[in-house]
Amino acid sequence: MSIVRNFIQDWSRYRKGIEDGGFHEYEHMWGMVIDLDKCTGCNACSVACYAENNLAVVGEDYFAHGQAMHWMRIERYWDEPNLGDKASKDTQEHGASFMPMMCQQCNAATCEPVCPVAAAYHTPDGLNAQIYNRCIGSRYCANNCPYRLRYFNFYSYYETSWPSPLDMQLNPDITVRDKGVMEKCTFCVQRIRTAKSDAKMDDRKIQDGDIKTACQQTCPTSAIVFGDLMDHESDVHLLWHKHQTKLGTPKQDKKNPELRGYRLYEQLNTEPSVTYLERVREV
Amino acid sequence: MKKRILGLFSDFDQAIAVVVGIRQYEVPGVTVDDITIKSPIEHPEIEEILGERSSHVPKFALSGALFGLIFGAFFLAAAQANFLVQPQGGKPVITITSNLVLIYEMLILFGVLSTFIGFLIGGRFMRKRTALDDEKINLDQVGIVVEVEEGNADPLRDLFRKHKVLEIRDRELEE
Amino acid sequence: MAEHTAATKDIDEKIAWAKINADVLRSMQNPRKGYWVALAFCVGLLSIGIYAEVHQYDIGMGPSNLNNPHMWDLYISTFVFWIGMSHSGTLLSAILHIFHADWRKPIYRFAEAMTTFSLLTALLFPIIHLGRVWNMHWVVPYLSDRGIWPNFRSPLVWDAFAITTYLTASVLFLYIGMIPDLAICRDNVKGWRRKLYTFMSVGWRGDDRQWRNFRKTYLLMACFLIPLAVSVHSIVAADFAMAIMPGWHVTSFPPYFVAGALYSGCAGIISLFVLLRYFFKFEQYMTLPILDKTCRLTFAIAMVWTYLNLIEFASVWYGHDVTSKEVLLAKFFGPYSPFFLTMLFFGMILPFALIVPKIRHNMPLIFIVSILLNIGMWLERYMIVAPTLSLAYHPWTWGVMWPSWVEWGIVIGSIGWFGLLFLIFVKVFPSVSMYEVKEMVYHRRRVVFDDAEERVMKPSRQEGS
Repeated sequence: MSIVRNFIQDWSRYRKGIEDGGFHEYEHMWGMVIDLDKCTGCNACSVACYAENNLAVVGEDYFAHGQAMHWMRIERYWDEPNLGDKASKDTQEHGASFMPMMCQQCNAATCEPVCPVAAAYHTPDGLNAQIYNRCIGSRYCANNCPYRLRYFNFYSYYETSWPSPLDMQLNPDITVRDKGVMEKCTFCVQRIRTAKSDAKMDDRKIQDGDIKTACQQTCPTSAIVFGDLMDHESDVHLLWHKHQTKLGTPKQDKKNPELRGYRLYEQLNTEPSVTYLERVREV
Repeated sequence: MKKRILGLFSDFDQAIAVVVGIRQYEVPGVTVDDITIKSPIEHPEIEEILGERSSHVPKFALSGALFGLIFGAFFLAAAQANFLVQPQGGKPVITITSNLVLIYEMLILFGVLSTFIGFLIGGRFMRKRTALDDEKINLDQVGIVVEVEEGNADPLRDLFRKHKVLEIRDRELEE
Repeated sequence: MAEHTAATKDIDEKIAWAKINADVLRSMQNPRKGYWVALAFCVGLLSIGIYAEVHQYDIGMGPSNLNNPHMWDLYISTFVFWIGMSHSGTLLSAILHIFHADWRKPIYRFAEAMTTFSLLTALLFPIIHLGRVWNMHWVVPYLSDRGIWPNFRSPLVWDAFAITTYLTASVLFLYIGMIPDLAICRDNVKGWRRKLYTFMSVGWRGDDRQWRNFRKTYLLMACFLIPLAVSVHSIVAADFAMAIMPGWHVTSFPPYFVAGALYSGCAGIISLFVLLRYFFKFEQYMTLPILDKTCRLTFAIAMVWTYLNLIEFASVWYGHDVTSKEVLLAKFFGPYSPFFLTMLFFGMILPFALIVPKIRHNMPLIFIVSILLNIGMWLERYMIVAPTLSLAYHPWTWGVMWPSWVEWGIVIGSIGWFGLLFLIFVKVFPSVSMYEVKEMVYHRRRVVFDDAEERVMKPSRQEGS
């Protein structure tokens, strides 16, 4: 009977889509800003991510097959349309453009509704979570991710990835994944959990700067800023505000050169939580 | 004492003529309702002569489909409402539009199963075969089984013979 | 005169009923050497597939060469192909049954068997493509202590529902239509077959009560099956259409998929028609006029498919979604263009061969044409799945992938599996419906002797009024 009561009483709440704020009442909304102007493409973030999240090192062959597990990847783009004919295909005077890419933690994620077993779901923290235990490996989520940021365990990578004594460096806070499971960037959810429980022990609220993701911590130029978008004092919120990116609206004054913020594929209405600040170039 | 009498006919028109004869009360005490026709093929036109005989299969189909519809709608919505840690993707918890797809499938699934059960019940399947079931009926002959009182058996046999019956068999009914 | 009759009539209505029984029962007995060779061939193909699957199960999805953007590839395209094949039986049997097209009667049984077995083949692919096959039951909604349900929004769950329903319905449809024939078999065989048929014919006596219920049931099942078949392939189309990817997110996909399914199903019927006619010597039942009708039907569906294909191109082109347009152009001019252009040729141009009577009546030729049509339809599915995976939104992941022997092995194995099931079917169950051929003969003869019927029927009509 409780089922029926639950069902009838909460009908209107359950029928809320993201247009009306959705069913979740968010406690936090973790977001990120990546300043491409500061990014030097050094790949330190990627290495830090491998160390923090027990990412398997797959080796050259599998990497060439596109079976790598880099949750945080630095994409290099050599062509630059606004340089016109001056741009050469392989090298150019300004060097490559870099794009650090990790899961965009979309609020209207395309990967979530297609998962047949509800292994991809949305946490009250605004995170796009992946439950490894529940995943059956249908890989639909990866197919439906416009950013192609989901990585699949094509082999039991753990068997060869960390030959002893390298296995001693594995992070005990999170699991090592076996074959057949989809995984992706979690915004270092283990750090978020630790910070939350620490704050609870100290009987205080989480402050900005309590949580640093591995990539943020390692970035030598501090190109990555992470924090709670619902905390109006946080750096990440201020940066979002400054560059007029906002959850729930793709609108922005694109003509103002001071506003460098954009989110990837905003036109798809996936509501990503990562804002990129465009690289400034003298042409 | 009631009896069942089977007549086997190779000519379908003759068999129809027998039914027509019984319909015109040529055999005393036997009406069209006492007749069972056994045939190797489906004969909608013979069934017309036999008059209205009901079949409950459509009722089974309808009730199964309705059950699938209502059960599907409630089951899916209830499962979703009690499983809040669902992938949201910006969508509501109870997504009526996508549930419609599944309700549609469940309507058909239960409709089909119920139709099949109705068929097995309505067709009186899974009974032991008797002497009145003959292999030739499945080949090319029509059998007419009539339930008669002992005394009316002979006029019936005569009617059968008039229409070139191939074989006549009796079976007493246990009361 | 006899030749003339053979060329114009769907069936010779003077054919003796006992001969119908004898011919069909003969086809079920005494497999010749060729049969065993075919069976061994299918088992061989299947064992390639099993070997590949065991290998993949053992060490993970990696050996299939799938990679980050190419997560589905051959598995899902072949899945869609087999689901498509499964629409043949429904079309021939259910739709033509409702339209009272009695020429379906000699050929619908094997078409329905094809439906069931293609579904059983298609069913394997979503299972094989899972990374953790051993957990596949999580897609089924069942009460669990932890209150976990599948995600009812996911088109893959819709697939699970749709395939279960379709498999149940088509197996029942095949079975119900076969009950009177199973009774005939029961009466004519001995040994284990007799036990099997006695069990399966559930006490069919052929009385009017059974026939009446049978007719109603068969009609109702047909009525259930037609919308079901349409919905099944629409749902398979929804796997793609519900996704956000360019080239997949196409509104016209459901009807396009349904048309493609009927198309490849009909082509499959033609292939099997030719094989059964030749090997079982069913020339009297599977006649050329019936083949003509099937070919014309296939041609009509091919044109529907062509039209839907063209409007898909047109809507992508004029819709001016840049990424979708890029994917479309890449299909024409990119690395996939050989496959794509072959598919367009086989799918759009080759069906015109079906309207040439000379080609239709040349058995080896029509067989080759029908196989090529199906290769075209398989390529169609591959061209739906692969280019979008290779070229979606994010330029960094663009690239082409060639499937490895594991994927090809499983695809080949699926053909062996289908062939094996079908070969077993034709020897265990009657592949031509005996009672319905009799009905066809009976009703056609009654049309010839219409006035005689009128004479017999008259008294009852007068009495009725």
